[in-house]
Order: sequence, then structure tokens, then C-alpha cells
Amino acid sequence: MRWNKLLLLFIVAAALCGLLAISSAAPQQQLTVYTSQTSYSLPVLDREGKAYIALVDLLSPLGAAAPTLKNKEWRVQLNNADARLTEGKSKAVIRGNQLDLDGKVLVENQRVLVPMSAALPLLTHLLNVSVDFHQPARRLFVGNVNARFTAAFKDGDAPSLTLNFSQPVHPDGDQEEIRNGVLFTHSNRTTLIFKKEPLISDTNTQQFGDGAIQSMAFTEENGRALLTISGNTHLNIVRSDDGKTITLRPAAPAAAASPASGSVAAASADNPRRTQEFFVMIDPSHGGYDKGANFGGKLLEKDVTLKLARELRKELEERGIPSRMLRDSDVDVPMERRAEITNEQRAGIYVALHAGRPGHGVRVYTPLLADPQQPSGRFIPWENAQAVALDRSKAAGQAVAGELRKRGMNVATLGIPIRPLNNIVVPAIAVELAPEGDDLQSFESVKRNAGIASAIATGIAQARTQIGARP
Amino acid sequence: MIPRHFQITMALVLLAILISGVVIIQLTHREEAMSIQAPDSAPVVPVVTGKQEHIQVLVAYDDDQALRWRPADVFLPADRGLRAKQTLRAVLAQYLQNPSPHPLAQGADIRDVYFIGNDTLVVDTTAQFADGHPSGILLEEMTLASLIETLSANVPGVNKVKFLVEGKERDTLAGHADLMSFYQTNAVHELAREFE
Repeated sequence: MRWNKLLLLFIVAAALCGLLAISSAAPQQQLTVYTSQTSYSLPVLDREGKAYIALVDLLSPLGAAAPTLKNKEWRVQLNNADARLTEGKSKAVIRGNQLDLDGKVLVENQRVLVPMSAALPLLTHLLNVSVDFHQPARRLFVGNVNARFTAAFKDGDAPSLTLNFSQPVHPDGDQEEIRNGVLFTHSNRTTLIFKKEPLISDTNTQQFGDGAIQSMAFTEENGRALLTISGNTHLNIVRSDDGKTITLRPAAPAAAASPASGSVAAASADNPRRTQEFFVMIDPSHGGYDKGANFGGKLLEKDVTLKLARELRKELEERGIPSRMLRDSDVDVPMERRAEITNEQRAGIYVALHAGRPGHGVRVYTPLLADPQQPSGRFIPWENAQAVALDRSKAAGQAVAGELRKRGMNVATLGIPIRPLNNIVVPAIAVELAPEGDDLQSFESVKRNAGIASAIATGIAQARTQIGARP
Repeated sequence: MIPRHFQITMALVLLAILISGVVIIQLTHREEAMSIQAPDSAPVVPVVTGKQEHIQVLVAYDDDQALRWRPADVFLPADRGLRAKQTLRAVLAQYLQNPSPHPLAQGADIRDVYFIGNDTLVVDTTAQFADGHPSGILLEEMTLASLIETLSANVPGVNKVKFLVEGKERDTLAGHADLMSFYQTNAVHELAREFE
């Protein structure tokens, strides 16, 4: 009988371990398509053990409309070519040619899914161009598009590694690990992640010595290219103004320890909880399928917020304030996840960026709670998590609004019960750009956005001493 | 020479025909009047008691980014649930007129309302209410604040309000305003005051 109980305990423990393994699953799989005009990523879905993609995700960024159903056939047009697919069939007809799709066509909620490997024949025949598919890495190059780089290593007392790229690059990273475009995965290893650039290399590994910079490896995985530089210390990364050169040097010990240094190599992010420095979590609202408000034509709120977020990041950097972005590409991040990441990483302040009608100027929102009393127990209710930081959120909102007013902008401040502000345990504000009157193109004004970003950054810098205190 | 008794008989017959004609014409008119009133396609509902009331509804004005109280004459049933539904519809009616101070999509309506206990109201809206709602923090918050405040002013005792769309929960109204939470009417009072 006792053995039976032990066996039961073992099964329960094994089940819990399994659940833990599932909860820490790998990031979502994605396919990245590079063209001469644009680069974009789309989610890869697992259907019956096979990788599938949605046809609309693959073709709409290239200008195709969503597939339409006619006489049991799904039809989509692109580049004056017509593709016809049938649910359950593994063949498609394009320009009169029958193509093998390497698997059945599936339809889910009016979305046509095709095997990921079918992207190669579909794009080749629809666009009438050569397509290169790095299938294991899920990277697809349309036409002769590519970007290359050279590496120059300088040894000595001040070693450095200079990377020259054939086009401007903007290294990107995972949502939770990105620090100013640079991913620090380990104290002696720095990884630059390239999602948008069609970076390729004929050499996989280069050796430089056994000092601060020892080797560099080029790899491809999950729709992105990675350059991993190994050495025996943290590296400081500097990107040139034209974005074509990246220089890596060993970081000074003081810089690595100083949270206010503004260095891009301030600290390791392999354990975000350990990082207790002040940083701003910038949230460009919406993204991916969540387009936000549509301002007519191709002007969408998700794009306006991302541009403003990048501008704000730059302005904060200039003031020596570290920042992280909840998204730096067109990806969908669920509302609750935005709050979870901000809370887990213990941000100094969370700033959500929005754009919308009506009116003009800028609106600064602070959280509004039904019950602003701070919880007395150890557990904080999710819906009321902001109660512990509400006063500091209001102080930050006032500072940002005041700075915007100083620059002659029309500013309204409001307390609203908007997600995910109420779920965040650190000071949190939302800033919404309104158009200048009826001029919706004002959302794209570089000068206006730079002014707004500058005012937000200055407001945060001023309020930092007030809002920096942690609960 | 026509006999006198035949003349009298003919006169009586003509008189009878005349009277019958008048009666038939009157009956025909009554039938037509009834047939005009008859085609009311509204679903058959139990007779509800209530009266026309002069109430105040809080209306959103996009141009001014403000909420203002406006009078409205609304038939309000005695039943608390029906009263809540009619109150909310009175607000939506303001937005569906042309020109509208805060345009919503045609078809935006309240499907039903349900009380949970005495103080919590669940409002089930049509798909058009959310799908066709203009996206934007201010626009969405103004819609919800005007509905909740009007409800709170005209249906006493409602402390929490939750919105559904076609009977299902939805994250946000049109990308911004939270539809997952229960709105506390005291918090919405504070929000509405900021808009006034």
C-alpha cells in the first residue's frame, strides 16, 4: 500500500515537471520573408506534426488581398497571377501550372493554411522571380536580396571588433531580453540578432585569439540571423550613424556596474529579476494582427506607435536613461503578456504609446482604479495591481504633461481604467497622440514626433527621483 | 298603373339596400383601419407596466471631447432589468441619429441585460456595437462612461457593470477600452467628472 502511495507521488511529480517544461516552451516559431522592398515575419503553426503558414500572412505584405472562396476553390491574386487552392488537396494551380504543395491545404476560421515548404513554389510562380529558401532556419529570400558583412579584429591593449555591413542594420532581439538592440545571453557572450536584415555569410566561425574578443559565429534560426561574439568579458557595442558599422569593445568595469551610465552594455540580462537598475519599458501598443486605429489608407496606429517608440528610445538614450521595448517589430504581444513582462523585469516606469482621434495635441493617461487602497497581504490582485504605484504614476503623468505643455502642445490629462496599466506594479502611464486637427498625416510628422518623444523623455528624467523608489 | 302595395314594397326594398350599403361601407372602413394597425412585426412580449419618463442621459461629444447631460423622454418599464435596457438604448439612440455627436455603427444595440444579485449588471451588446466602434482610447472610454453613468443615474443600486458582445466576453471594445473587467460605477463617476 505504501509503495502504491509512493508511485502516485512519483506520477504527480512527473506530471508537474511536464507542466513546467511546457510552460517554459520555446518562443513561437516564425518564418521571415526578405524582399527588396520589405521584410516581414509570419507565425509558423504546427498542424498534424507539420509546419503550416497562413496564406494571407505570406501574401498580403506583398500586396495580395485575402483569399476568396469561389466554387469550393480559394483564389488569391498577386502580380497579375491567379492562384487556386482547394481545401484537403495538396495541389495548387498558378498561371495554369499545377504545383505540388507538399501537404494538404487546410482551412481554419476562413483562413487558408498551406505547408510552410509550399512558400517556395507559391512565391516563385506568383512573383516570377527566383526564391532562395533556407528552410531549416525558416528564412526565405525573394529575388537576389541579401546583406553581407566583413569583420575586422584589432588586437592589443584596447581590442575591438568592427563589423561593416553592406546595408544599414538594426540588430533586434527577443522581447524579454532585448537591451537597446543587443541581446546579452551570458556574461562572456554577446549575440546580435538580425530579424529584418537578409544577412547571410559564407563563413560560420572566425577565431580571433583568447582575450576579451575570442571568436565570432554566424548562425540562422527561427527566421533570423545571429552573430555571437565570445570572449571573457562584457562588450560595449557602438552603432555608427549610418547603421552600417557596429564596433564591439570590452566594457569598462565601471560602466558595467553603473546603472545610470547610459552604456548599452550596462548589465547582463540573463536574469532580468537580478537587474535592479532603473529603466523605461516602452510599449508601442498594438502590433501584428492587432492594428489599432486605422487612419485611412495604409496609416495604422500600430505603425505610428512603433515609430514614436523608437524615437523615444533614442531620446532616452541621449539622456543616459536605459530603456527596453516590448516590441520592436510588427508582432502581436497579448495585453496580459505586456504587463507580465514589465512586472517580471521590474521596470522603473512603463510607458504605453497610442495614437487616436478625436481632438488635437497629446493626451496623457494615468491609471484609474476602482479600489485605490493598497493590498495588505502578500498577494496583489491582478485587476488592482497598480494600487502599489498609483501615486508615482500620477507624478510621472504630471511631469510628462508639464514638459509637453512647455513645448506649446495642447495636453489633456485623464485617469482611465485602461489595460494593461491597472495590471502593472510599477509606475505606468499611457500617452496618446491626437492628430493636428483633421490632418491625419500629422501622425507621420518626424519633427512633431521627435518633439513629443523629447518631451516625454525629459518628463521621465525629471520625475525619475520621485518614481524610482520601488515598492 | 302600378299597384300601391307594390310601390310601397319597392320603396322598402330600396331603403333596405341603401341602409345595407352604408353599413357595408362602414364595416369596410373599420376593417381597413384595423388592417393598417395590424402589421406590427415586434415580437410578442408580455405586457409591461411603466410610464413615459423625462430622464437625463450623459452624451459624448467628440468635437469637444466632453460628456454632457441631456434630457430625453423614454418609456421606462417598472421591471428593473427592462428599465436598465431602455435607459442604455436611450443613450445609443443619441449616437445613432444623424448628425451624431459621437457616431456609432448602425445596428449598435443592447441585446439584453442580466442582473447578478442586486448590484451587478451584465450588458450584452450586438456585434455591430463593438465591431463598428471607432478605435481610440478617448472614443471608447467616452462610450462606456456615458452608458454606465446614465445607467447609474436612472437605475439606482447598480455598482458594477460588465459588457459582453453577442453573449461572449471580449478583451477590448475596439482595441483599447477594457471589456474584460467589471466596471465599478464609483470609478466611472470619477472618469465622467473629468470629461464634463
